[in-house]
Amino acid sequence: MTNYALEAEGLHTFYGKSHILHGVSLKVEEGKITTLLGRNGAGKSTTLRSLVGLTPAREGKVTIFGQDTTRRPPFAIAGLGVGFVPEGRKIFPNLTIEENLKVPADRPGYWTIDTVYELFPRLKERRNNKGRQLSGGEQEMLSIARALLLNPKLLILDEPSQGLAPLIVREVFNIVVRMRDQGMSVLLVEQNVRMSLEVADHAYVLNDGEIAFDGSATDLSEDEDRLQSLAGVSAEVWEI
Amino acid sequence: MTQLILFNIANGLIIGAFYALMAIGLSLIMSLSDVINFAHGGFLAIGAYIAYTLSPYIGFWGGLLVAPVLTAVLGIIVEKFLISRVYGRDPLYSLLLTFGLAFIFEDGTRMIWGAQSVPYSVPNWLMTPLSNEYFFITGYRLLMIALVALAVGGLFWMMNKTRLGLRIRAGTLDLETVSVLGVNVRVLRNLNFGIGIYLAGLAGVLAAGQLGLQPTIGASLIMPSFVAIIIGGLGSLLGTLLGGLLIGVASGITSVFLPSGTEAVMYVMMALVLLVRPQGLLGEEGRF
Ligand SMILES: Nc1ncnc2c1ncn2[C@@H]1O[C@H](COP(=O)(O)OP(=O)(O)O)[C@@H](O)[C@H]1O
Ligand SMILES: [Mg+2]
Repeated sequence: MTNYALEAEGLHTFYGKSHILHGVSLKVEEGKITTLLGRNGAGKSTTLRSLVGLTPAREGKVTIFGQDTTRRPPFAIAGLGVGFVPEGRKIFPNLTIEENLKVPADRPGYWTIDTVYELFPRLKERRNNKGRQLSGGEQEMLSIARALLLNPKLLILDEPSQGLAPLIVREVFNIVVRMRDQGMSVLLVEQNVRMSLEVADHAYVLNDGEIAFDGSATDLSEDEDRLQSLAGVSAEVWEI
Repeated sequence: MTQLILFNIANGLIIGAFYALMAIGLSLIMSLSDVINFAHGGFLAIGAYIAYTLSPYIGFWGGLLVAPVLTAVLGIIVEKFLISRVYGRDPLYSLLLTFGLAFIFEDGTRMIWGAQSVPYSVPNWLMTPLSNEYFFITGYRLLMIALVALAVGGLFWMMNKTRLGLRIRAGTLDLETVSVLGVNVRVLRNLNFGIGIYLAGLAGVLAAGQLGLQPTIGASLIMPSFVAIIIGGLGSLLGTLLGGLLIGVASGITSVFLPSGTEAVMYVMMALVLLVRPQGLLGEEGRF
């Protein structure tokens, strides 16, 4: 029997009057990487916002670790062990690295400020620098570190490789794989289709607020036509 | 003449310290809750009256210690059951709510304690001038300055060294992300409101001993406090402190040379600051 860290069923999400998600259903299997792909504006970030409670779905149901979380506030969902690395990193620019790391709630576990410094020595070196002084790569590390401090069982990332140099993109993906190998469940939204499919076990493709593909990552990586249409505007990601 | 100017500067500093305490609390609440708390002066008055009521039993020092805490507790209750309901709604809601609360507080204090000014007794030895020449410097005034410095210093320490303070600072820029990191932002806003009201309560107790105690004590301080925030820069603790002291002193000095301009001078200063440096003297993009 398969266990799911997260199950979403028939999500309809709105921003005011604009109807963005039209019945999105997806599952994240425990201990696996599930990737959610799609063109810009397809509704990937909106889906994640609905899952973590930032923009609750108006219809549908979200179940995380067996609990109905559809209407719960973000901090309660995080408290179940859901780490979120938001689009654009959302580092607190007025706080230093170390202060940024003191913001998340403590959930006991392996990850502490000391252990995330071991994972990202660069953050330790720059611990007294303000968020606004960091490079994109450092901000990404900090955003991941912040989410890890919750000691999540489920890690949700929204385009972590966005705007990063190829070498750092590689490093980010390595970390995601490492977390999976340590037993974490991962939901990964990416523009970098090829690398995501390389590391993912399961894949979804979102198109205009609807799920257009649901299958194994290997199947999708062999489906040339669909991949072409997915590449969309950002064809250069294929070169990485 | 020098004596007169010094006298008015001292007065200005004292009144400016009240503006600053009020303004810092208002600014904390505005930054994290997006609510302009027009009831802030009402809380100040309640703090003063609580001290007035309790001091016969627990003494002046007891009142000074306990009244601000009780005021903060009242603030926490009011935030939880009323103010928090209008978060995220059109600002008109919070405006009407806090405006209404201001009236309720003012009339409430009038009903309970009467419209007349009541004497709030401060220990005699605190009220004796320290020297004949500088008759306007009393122990009480020094105590006030010390307590305001302590409160602002304590707040500064909290905002920079405690996780609660760091979360408040993070939340003033991006509350959503603070919430996603597992921090109960309802509690965070609630405590932050309580801290702001604590400062109002403290200002109330101190003001009662200096300015006398009547139901309108808070109402007269609230507009200058807004001006202090704008001059100092919203979100800057030190800026707000500076703004409060500046307009206090400016009013004091103006009262010597141009008595009719005493009230107006702070608004002139505000207009100048808005023209030259719209973000305020110490305001910047990163808050607190
Ligand atoms: N805050 C918002 N208010 C209104 N519309 C929004 C908002 N955020 C996103 N949208 C719209 O919702 C759609 C989906 O956006 P998003 O979920 O960010 O897509 P993706 O992450 O796949 O690029 C887009 O058409 C976008 O313009
Ligand atoms: Mg997006």
